[in-house]
Amino acid sequence: MKLSLYIHADTPLHRLHPLVKVVGVFCFFVAAFTAERPLQSLALGGLIAALWWLSSAMANAWRFRWLLTMVFFMTFLVWSLFFQSREPWLSWGPIHLGEDGVSFAFATACRLTAFFAAGLLFLSTTRVEEFADALRMMGVPAKLGFAMTLAFRLVPVFVDAALSVVQAQRCRGFDFDRGNWFQRVRHYLPVIVPVFIGALRRADLMAMALEARGFQRQGQRTSFRTYGLSGLDFAALLVSLTLMIVWLCWARLTD
Amino acid sequence: MSVPTQFAAYLHHVTFTYEGALSPALRQVDLAIRRGEMVLIMGASHAGKSTLVKLLNRTIPSFQGGTLTGEIWLLGQRCEQHTVADFAGRIGLVAQDFEAQLFSTSVDCEVAFALEQFAVPPAEMRERVHAALQAVGLEGFERRDPATLSGGEKQRLAIAAMLALGPELLVLDEPTTDLDPLGKEEVLAVLARLRKEGRTLVVVEHEALAAEMADRIVFLAEGRVVGDMAARDALRDPEWFRRCAVRPPDLALLAYRAGWSEVPASPELAAAKVEERLARTALGSLHARRGQPRTSRDQILLAADELWFQYDEGGPFVLADVSLEIRAGEFVALLGHNGSGKTTLAKCFNGLLRPLRGQVRLKGTPILGISSVDRAASVGYVFQNPDHQIFAARVWDEVAFGPRNLGLSEEVMHERVREALAAVSLLERADDDPFWLTKGERQRLAVASLLALRPEVLILDEPTTGLDYNEQRQVMELVCRLHRQGMTVIMITHTAWLVAEYAERVVLLHQGRVLFDGATLELFGREDLMSAARFRLPEIVRLGQRCGVPVRSVEEFMAVFAAAPEDKR
Amino acid sequence: MGELIGMWRNTRMVVFTALTASLYAAILIPFKVLPIIPGVTELRPANAIPVVCSFLFGPAAAWGAAIGNVIGDFFGGFGPGDLFGFWGNFLYGFLPYRTWELLTERSPVLRRPTEWLLFAAVVGLASGACALVIGWGLNLLGFVPFRVLGNIVWINNMLASLLLAPFLLAVVYPRAERGRLTYRHVLRGRQVRTGAAAYLGLTMVGCAVVVGMWLGNGLSSGSMTLPWVPEGTVGGTNALAVGWGLVPVLAVVLVGLFLL
Repeated sequence: MKLSLYIHADTPLHRLHPLVKVVGVFCFFVAAFTAERPLQSLALGGLIAALWWLSSAMANAWRFRWLLTMVFFMTFLVWSLFFQSREPWLSWGPIHLGEDGVSFAFATACRLTAFFAAGLLFLSTTRVEEFADALRMMGVPAKLGFAMTLAFRLVPVFVDAALSVVQAQRCRGFDFDRGNWFQRVRHYLPVIVPVFIGALRRADLMAMALEARGFQRQGQRTSFRTYGLSGLDFAALLVSLTLMIVWLCWARLTD
Repeated sequence: MSVPTQFAAYLHHVTFTYEGALSPALRQVDLAIRRGEMVLIMGASHAGKSTLVKLLNRTIPSFQGGTLTGEIWLLGQRCEQHTVADFAGRIGLVAQDFEAQLFSTSVDCEVAFALEQFAVPPAEMRERVHAALQAVGLEGFERRDPATLSGGEKQRLAIAAMLALGPELLVLDEPTTDLDPLGKEEVLAVLARLRKEGRTLVVVEHEALAAEMADRIVFLAEGRVVGDMAARDALRDPEWFRRCAVRPPDLALLAYRAGWSEVPASPELAAAKVEERLARTALGSLHARRGQPRTSRDQILLAADELWFQYDEGGPFVLADVSLEIRAGEFVALLGHNGSGKTTLAKCFNGLLRPLRGQVRLKGTPILGISSVDRAASVGYVFQNPDHQIFAARVWDEVAFGPRNLGLSEEVMHERVREALAAVSLLERADDDPFWLTKGERQRLAVASLLALRPEVLILDEPTTGLDYNEQRQVMELVCRLHRQGMTVIMITHTAWLVAEYAERVVLLHQGRVLFDGATLELFGREDLMSAARFRLPEIVRLGQRCGVPVRSVEEFMAVFAAAPEDKR
Repeated sequence: MGELIGMWRNTRMVVFTALTASLYAAILIPFKVLPIIPGVTELRPANAIPVVCSFLFGPAAAWGAAIGNVIGDFFGGFGPGDLFGFWGNFLYGFLPYRTWELLTERSPVLRRPTEWLLFAAVVGLASGACALVIGWGLNLLGFVPFRVLGNIVWINNMLASLLLAPFLLAVVYPRAERGRLTYRHVLRGRQVRTGAAAYLGLTMVGCAVVVGMWLGNGLSSGSMTLPWVPEGTVGGTNALAVGWGLVPVLAVVLVGLFLL
């Protein structure tokens, strides 16, 4: 079962230094925050689509098309209703529907979708280890990063186990969809328990295996993955920062 | 008199009791491992093998606490306060559960992990990663995600991760127990290579093949060393294996029974030896044809009509045009290596999976037209890993889960649970917590929890994986008893001797197609099919074929052998 | 609080962290979730995992819940909101065991009605703290209003925990206990505050969560003004009103945590 979003490919985006990618994503987030006009939203969307195409990550865009659509519509709906409009067309209880609300809702929906899209792009081109390395370079403790990679590696193991448990319990006549929703929540017990117990059985063994590989060794450590800053990295850094500044000026000027 | 410091490991009168346990896991153990030697440790489940192995890298007592007495010397050092970290890198430990030993999301990072902890410079690290992957035959896998590897590949990766550190002593705890035959072969091949390199190896193993490459075998029973001898000597007396719940090598057992002084190295050599004594014609005349599948007009219980199946749209067909009939009262083995489609087919049989085309019928009714509850009551499916279904806090409740789902009355349910527990000999454990049962008991519990539904067909998915020989026998005897009582049994397996000794009819799947469907012995005669499916026959069956006697077990061979007249030439 | 840092020296605790995180993320994936308000929010059974893990793995569950939430989003939905999701879930994993062990000596296998009440209170507090941080952060970013997300997270976590966690604990806890796989066994000789300071910390967190949820709802609907909230921030998304308004409350939570 393929869960990871990472797409094996050798594109300029894949080759970038992970820290540069993090900075790039950050710049994009800042830009997206200040996007309020439809034209600006369009520019953001175009940029992301281009990068997606560049990194051969279109498959992931397609895979998450429903998620992205849902995020867009749900955000639009929620903010249309809950934005506290100054000149509402209609007020009913906590809901104040108005023009400024709807236009804000649209901008936020675009913005949030862009965030998600950028996040997807980042994960499509960055291995978990690289992300952990980037976090470490930013000062996050190495062991926290390690726990993250380990958890990431275990997710498919437990997902497979859970799917298998669901089938095994069905074989014993268990009907997950029976009863009201209160009872249905309880139906997860025969699934969660075996998965949980399986994890518990493994805990000690995993800790042992880690120690046998020197996990608790004192002193210096090295890293298998070495990252050099190439010309491409500097270029990407420069472009990201420039674009962000230009964008902020644009957002200011049009205010 | 040798000095303890000369040994890779030296244990003197070691007794260990786990914290909170009532009795010691190891008692008065003496063991000396010489450098460059391969020592095999054999014993039944819970004989203390894992405990012994953990002593060899300080996991016990520094990581898992308890009371330890006696002297331990590791790599020439007397151990008092040493921790795992003190020997990490110099003593490597590989365990049975490969999933619990892999920590990274790519193969090269996995091997490099330990090197990073030891601050090996990146350039050297790359060389060592490469060399370690080469040593286990995983070169070219560097960028793969371990989640996408097969069991055998995962276990070899775990070995590579240890090898990269260049350990002076490598300890492997049941490295092949959870693997399919192909994976077992792969790992044993790696062991053979390490052995050739002259590494010091301690291996806990149930696989008799490993015995043939070891220098020495140590037999454990109830925490004691009951035998410590050269592998050659152990092979001459297969009773040692039997006592320690290891299936003895076929030829060793045969040689023992026949009173030969040497164990022949291959079925070919054994055949020569047999023919030395007996006239070929005499043997041929005794040609015992048994174990034919029923050709009677028994009712067709399950029928698959032209099944096609794929997991992903546009993906490969896991089942391609599979048609099959299972008659009431049959014992059918579904055979094929990983990815051949046998589990998929079995899951179509009880409606867990919906085929793309074609259908499965239960006594003529399309299975998907039957309610899921009725399906469960008719076709019982025991999953490979019993831990994927056990969730209750009491053995009794676990078995009662199924009948409760069927909505049976308290009284009927009670009776069925009793009956099912009695059938698997777990009735007196009814109030116990399943968590603390042994793997073999948990496997039987899983069978019981389906028996309580009183199905007409029982499908077992590799019911003997991860069990020792005695436990395997117990499970198989249970299945045979049920079969004799009229249960139709479909068993997925790739264990050669199980198929040889138990199945009447074999269905061989290969790449989603039925390659063969017929009598077990007939399939064994088809070398072309066997090699296509990468199925390795038990040695005794191969010997039988050489001599022109189709037999399934050493017992059968001996019966034929004893009855045959001596060659009077 | 100190053991949240100290635990990283213990290999088992690191493994517990990874187990919590991966179970949390993994249970989310194979299940159809039950909609509470169709399309807006759903009841996620996986949200019981951090609470169960908290009682088993202690401080490791705090980090594990935090990481697990991020990993869940790694499979779709990764963005700036994860920063708040991280710390919100951190509290959700941290508060249950810490509060429970301060208030009672009993094992978390519930038998009496009083134990159930206590459990509900503990879970309510942890869920509230989680909701406060996430609701505050995401409203500040202008993503989702507090009165939508804050309340949903609170109710969702609380329901999932109350409906599943006690039953899971009943099966899992005694086994972990006997197998010596709880944080109490693994962190032998742990030193935690049990004196007045800890109770003061707990009271501070408790009061701050209750007040915070109330203020958050009021501020996000625009029906409430506070002296420290600058004028002109009310209206629209109320992002700054919620943002400023809850700062003192969150500060109290933080101080309370340091005392715990």
